[in-house]
Amino acid sequence: MNRQTKEIIIKYIFLLFSLVSVVVLGLIVFSLFREGLPIFGKVSVKDFLFGMEWYPTYDPPSFGIFPLIVGSLVVTLLATLIAVPLGVMAAIYISEIAPQAIKETLKSVIELLAGLPSVVLGFFGMVIIAPWMQETFDLPTGLNIVNASVILAIMAIPTISSISEDALYAVPREFKEASYALGATKFETIINVILPAAISGISTAVMLGMARAIGETMVVLMVAGGAAAIPESLFDSVRPMPASIAAEMGETPYRSAHYSSLFAIGIVLFCLTLAFNLIADYVSHKFRQIGSGTL
Amino acid sequence: MQSSKNNSMKWRYLKQHVFFGIVRASALIITLTLGGIIFYIVYNGIGAISWDFITKPPTHSMTQGGIMPAILGTIYLTVGAIAIGLPLGIASAIYLTEYAKQGRVIRFLKVGINCLAGVPSVVFGLFGLGFFVIFLKFGSSILSGSLTLGFLILPTIIGASEEALKSVPQTFREASLSLGVSKWQTTYRIVLPNAMPGILTGSILGIGRAAGETAPIMFTAAAYFTAKLPGSIFDEVMALPYHIYVLATAGTNIEATRPIQFGTVLVLVAVVLGIDLIAIIIRSYMRRNKRW
Amino acid sequence: MESNTIIKLKDVNFYYGQSRALTDISMTFGKNKVTALIGPSGCGKSTLLRLLNRMNDLIDGTRVEGEILFEEKNIYAPDVDPVEIRRKIGMVFQKPNPFPKTIYNNIAYGPKLTGVNAGDLDTLVEQSLKQSVLWDEVKDVLNKSAMNLSGGQQQRLCIARALAMKPDVLLMDEPTSALDPISTAKIEELIEELKKDYTIIIVTHNMQQAARISDETAFFYIGNLIEYNKTEKIFTKPEVKQTEDYITGRFG
Repeated sequence: MNRQTKEIIIKYIFLLFSLVSVVVLGLIVFSLFREGLPIFGKVSVKDFLFGMEWYPTYDPPSFGIFPLIVGSLVVTLLATLIAVPLGVMAAIYISEIAPQAIKETLKSVIELLAGLPSVVLGFFGMVIIAPWMQETFDLPTGLNIVNASVILAIMAIPTISSISEDALYAVPREFKEASYALGATKFETIINVILPAAISGISTAVMLGMARAIGETMVVLMVAGGAAAIPESLFDSVRPMPASIAAEMGETPYRSAHYSSLFAIGIVLFCLTLAFNLIADYVSHKFRQIGSGTL
Repeated sequence: MQSSKNNSMKWRYLKQHVFFGIVRASALIITLTLGGIIFYIVYNGIGAISWDFITKPPTHSMTQGGIMPAILGTIYLTVGAIAIGLPLGIASAIYLTEYAKQGRVIRFLKVGINCLAGVPSVVFGLFGLGFFVIFLKFGSSILSGSLTLGFLILPTIIGASEEALKSVPQTFREASLSLGVSKWQTTYRIVLPNAMPGILTGSILGIGRAAGETAPIMFTAAAYFTAKLPGSIFDEVMALPYHIYVLATAGTNIEATRPIQFGTVLVLVAVVLGIDLIAIIIRSYMRRNKRW
Repeated sequence: MESNTIIKLKDVNFYYGQSRALTDISMTFGKNKVTALIGPSGCGKSTLLRLLNRMNDLIDGTRVEGEILFEEKNIYAPDVDPVEIRRKIGMVFQKPNPFPKTIYNNIAYGPKLTGVNAGDLDTLVEQSLKQSVLWDEVKDVLNKSAMNLSGGQQQRLCIARALAMKPDVLLMDEPTSALDPISTAKIEELIEELKKDYTIIIVTHNMQQAARISDETAFFYIGNLIEYNKTEKIFTKPEVKQTEDYITGRFG
């Protein structure tokens, strides 16, 4: 075999390896649909998505996941509201203001925060924040939307902050210098020049942070309280989709309707996070940052 | 014009001052959150830690004794995940940085990898259950759990490897190729060795994640309690994250096992953050000593 | 003349994407001659050099038209292995680019991969380092990292590394532009020495350098070969006005 043939073979072997990710993605879809689709023989897609009652073990069972979807969206939104300002501000601090030593430390702090296992954060929310909240605000339970959102925000901050920081860092120096040369203060430069130039990267960061929060399981499983009903206040319990899957999968008979419905929730969850990721991907490619730096 | 209040320097600097204050406060809040969590865990968990806790199995329906089988199980699962994720990840990254030409193929692969990175961990769990446990009939086992975790960390490892490969100067490749060395030899002998430290430190962060994940192993590998240590890769195992979850939510006596719970949390955090910290320290050391 | 030709270009055009970087270049390079390629930045001289050992293959979206004959065989023919070509046509780059390996392993790297056995390697390393006049400076530190050498030493190491492959032709892309005057003088002396055994094609920005070391000089301007002749002719009686303007420093 001559060298050129060998080189071509090697190239295709590596191509095969890099296709594994795509194949796995395909297998995920395959498995979810294979196990999840049977439920739609029993309930319509509409009743499944918009049904108000989730009583999978009753007789007759009821498979409406609307309360679960609402639960997921509520905790995700609230977590985003907490995480975005903190994460973006921290990114601004790291890339524009902090002295070198603090910069390095803070980056490590954020990396370590990202490294905390979700079960540990869930445990923290359950054992420490929940009792405190219950007592302080005199609530029926400390396992509620606010608690879950705060913990989810802690998980989303590293994603938001590190991607935003990359975006801010990539803003060309000429922009900043031009602004300073016109007599702008650092604050004015950040607000009027740097943030607008980095906005697509920051949007990507927010989308990915939200995707992270909506798909996170252990935190909502342990901290959100688990009530499968539409919440009326921020201190109510909810049962976001991942929590339902994780909590119920262990107790359901193999290939029962309940089992299928959990996979079907998986399909919904997968589609939601996929949408977030594709939007993030689209935003970061479509609205490339101007100038020399790109994300 | 300068006399109008909105434009006075004093006012402009005041705004800046307030803004910087908020920004610093945000950074401080994040740092204190991490510090607070770690402090609480260490403070409450340190009492439970002893040599027996780490080296003995649980006793009395898990209300006493140690967590050795869970530590061992986490090690098995993590090593398995590395064995799957690392070679695949490095090979993928080599294709992306060294072989692929800019264009449709690379775009397609990257979108696929990004999407895989975004798949929620519980969906990975469902995938592992549906595909490895049921479809391939591996059962709930170390093998199923390792495969699931391995694919979970694959995008992280690809990302880290790509970055490390890209940071190898183009001049190294040119020098080697200009000597009449083939592309593969150049990649294998010059590019890969120089990228390896970066690949490993970057991948460690993914490995830490594999050790700490719960949802993907819940239905694919983890057992509440195993009487014996696993004998093969087709056995179920106990694992630290899952152990915490069951003790905290479904244990026989939740309040009585609190010290064990905190102790287990401390061990898990020490393992995961220890791994991460080592990676961070090596990396900053390497950056400082880089010669090109 | 024809029998002394080692490389011959026939109507070569080269494109980066849509833009043409070289236009209808036809020229020949003589065996055991030093040929200098000169011209203002962006004139295509480095591009041409990198065409001769197919280094431009590494850049996406490039295209070559015409023929480049090396020992009467077109190196861009479909059945030609670029790896084989690069073994016969070595290259030294603008910036010294030693590998982060020991001095010894830098030199031994290429030969090892072509199957030179361990016993012959020592001799080959010594011989190559002597050829590039670096031996006396490094013979006691062969197992130290090449990164510890000075810039000039690194460049001579890179030359030795190329020589260890026993090429027929040595391409040099502004090999002294990153070096101090003393190192530059050493490299120029070295080129003088090497031309007995090798064909050398050198791109340079430095007019005096071209005049000092080369036998033939080719002047390029915006992708065109403007004038190609004996060096002394080019520097004393250029035939084209543009060449004269460039050499006398009126532009560029």
